[in-house]
Amino acid sequence: MDFDFQHCIRCTICVANCPVFKVNPEFPGPKQAGPDAERFRSDHEASIDKWIRLCSQCKRCEVACPYGVNPAQIILREQVRYGEGHFRPLASRVFANNYWLGTVNSIIAPLVNMLTPLKFIKRVLNVFGISTYIPFPQYRVHSMNRSWRWKGRRKNRKKVVVRDLLASLGLRVIIPKQVCCGLPALGNGDVETARKFARKNARILAGYIDRGYDVIYTCTSCGLVLTQDYPGILNAPDGKKISENTYNLHEYVLKLMEDHYIEPVFEPFHRKVAYHIPCHLRASGIGYPAARLLEKIPGLEIHILEDNCCGLSGSYGFKRSNEETSAKLGITSERAIKDVDPDILMSDCGACRMQLEHFSGIPGFDPSEILVKSLKNFKAGK
Amino acid sequence: MSGTYDVVIIGGGMSGMMAAIALADMGRKIAVVSKGDPVCCLSTGCIDLLATDGDPLKGVGSLPDNHPYHLVGEDAIRESLEMFRDIMSEGGMPYVGDARVNRRILTPLGRRKVTCLVPGTMEFADFHSDEYIHVISFKKMKDFYPDYITSRYKNAGYSIFDAGIATTAGIAEQFENRKFLEGFISWLKGLDIPEGRIAIPAVLGMRFAGDVCNEISAKLGRNVFEIPTLPPSVPGLRLFGGLKKALLKRGGDLYWGREIYSVEKLGNQIEAVTLAGAGRSARVQGNAFILATGSFVSGGLHTSMDAVEETVFDLPAYLPGGRESWFNDDFFAPGHAIEKSGICVDPFFRPVDPQFENLFVCGSILAFSEIMKYRCGHGMAIATGVAAAKACGRPA
Repeated sequence: MDFDFQHCIRCTICVANCPVFKVNPEFPGPKQAGPDAERFRSDHEASIDKWIRLCSQCKRCEVACPYGVNPAQIILREQVRYGEGHFRPLASRVFANNYWLGTVNSIIAPLVNMLTPLKFIKRVLNVFGISTYIPFPQYRVHSMNRSWRWKGRRKNRKKVVVRDLLASLGLRVIIPKQVCCGLPALGNGDVETARKFARKNARILAGYIDRGYDVIYTCTSCGLVLTQDYPGILNAPDGKKISENTYNLHEYVLKLMEDHYIEPVFEPFHRKVAYHIPCHLRASGIGYPAARLLEKIPGLEIHILEDNCCGLSGSYGFKRSNEETSAKLGITSERAIKDVDPDILMSDCGACRMQLEHFSGIPGFDPSEILVKSLKNFKAGK
Repeated sequence: MSGTYDVVIIGGGMSGMMAAIALADMGRKIAVVSKGDPVCCLSTGCIDLLATDGDPLKGVGSLPDNHPYHLVGEDAIRESLEMFRDIMSEGGMPYVGDARVNRRILTPLGRRKVTCLVPGTMEFADFHSDEYIHVISFKKMKDFYPDYITSRYKNAGYSIFDAGIATTAGIAEQFENRKFLEGFISWLKGLDIPEGRIAIPAVLGMRFAGDVCNEISAKLGRNVFEIPTLPPSVPGLRLFGGLKKALLKRGGDLYWGREIYSVEKLGNQIEAVTLAGAGRSARVQGNAFILATGSFVSGGLHTSMDAVEETVFDLPAYLPGGRESWFNDDFFAPGHAIEKSGICVDPFFRPVDPQFENLFVCGSILAFSEIMKYRCGHGMAIATGVAAAKACGRPA
């Protein structure tokens, strides 16, 4: 048992930072759900707080807490305990196995992409507790592992771009065989599956680290799981080693620049950008490296928006039970974006982009896509 | 992540943020390191300069000689408050008031609080007690009981609106919604409130509270003002949000939610600090450092049974005497001696002993500030923050 919760002085800074608490009165907020309720929990008693599932694990409370309490971690542990002791709804089971879902769906991608927008299918999904208020992500046949060549769709491009970008900077890039980081399983109360994924990835990544490689992530949520949960709740072998050798892509490029290992020349790119900071980038505590990197691009006007959670939180918003919360938060974020009146929307997180593109209608990009557009010495499609 | 900065500010509260913004305006590359969100989020959002009956700025002159305000000086205090007002206006959250005039604004307990600069939404919060006041509350809202206010004023009444949600942050979120605001205004119109002022707890939205307040005012033809609430305090969040926005706009870096676990010193220089957190520790290197970690509540100072410790650099802290002399028998008496404890600094805001050449200290961690006694919290944070930034940024 962890006694960090005893440090809580009930200042409510976490509550003020909780997006779910703001729009859903059912959720008592991180203070009550976390340190307050923790006093009454015991490993010898079953978990009974049904509302514990309403926390989206955005971790804004954790970043805000000045006393080191980490309400989100307390809640996560309880979510896991609740998941172990209760029947998990079908939607939770499906999303916990997002990885397999993705694997199957990418094989029959054209069929899935054709079916999901259909009204009838949507109704069936709704019956099973799956929300359809925003369009489903498009699946594609060529996954990252099998082919990295850009097939002509913008959304397929990111990982190709990252690989080619790093290669063009003179780095040896390997995309090892890997499975899901485990976050969807963890977030849906299935810690066993999450640990299985973590063990598998940990073995592979640790092997590369031992051979002198650094690990780079492009998804801020996967990155947070690798650095925080692998050595933590998922207890992966070599978790600490992975945590210490894993970098955010932009953080890594910045580091190379600061070490004068690379000296890229930035070409002007004239755009007004609303940069929505993903909650899990905030939670990583590494500052906003993409903003620091992209501010070197002449002509790029970046407006950092970090006060709102987009509300989707991975599979959280795709569940009927969270649909309303998710949509309300999406609209709040959209308002902040519209205030800036940007040409384009930028966010490191694919899920944030999916939600915000839907609500704002403004095209969303990953920072690395913009970086690539500006880097002079970058040669695409090697 | 590691990085090299001109100045690293430790502590993201009022003082640290003001110092950071001032330095960014001087063209310095800066980073702010903070354990979490600061105490100013819990504050009323008002800027207390000094609780005096008359001119607070003049009152500064009669404070004890060792009070940190004297290191700044009257003119510089006024200038720093002006700078603060400019920053908040730039973020769309204008403040009103004058450093030479205190106001007495209404609190949720019905009493008055003496303060100096207030958010635009509280411009009319200092009213004559003969004037009619109509208080609006929200259904099931916690820690806000209009009876407390109406019981103290003969000429007052209240009404309760059902916002569908009972928390301050939740209601504030609702006020961002046009439809909700219109519904609220038409409900107010239907109340047939007597001539006078309308007081609403401080929940009128997060980003454009001033506009919301003005609109209600205009549509009802009454002066409308906000009453600061207990935490979660929306005006406190707006204040912090405004400062953060200004800093980000100026290219400052934030390292949030991370604690410092080691400090590198070389002779009389601080070289770098290392941050703990998930994953790799981060080394943040700076040519100069500003310490703005606050006092006891914020964790800048820590008490053991018989000593007061500074938590980041382990600087010696001033103590008013032995433990028996720390406290006053009367809990509510203004000024327990322990409040005097903190870091003693030279005229350039550098700790007196040991002398680090590139370390500057500001805010409530300064010795002899006695914030509770003099009611000078935010004012002193702003004044010393900007002054420390100037001392730090001056050409060598």
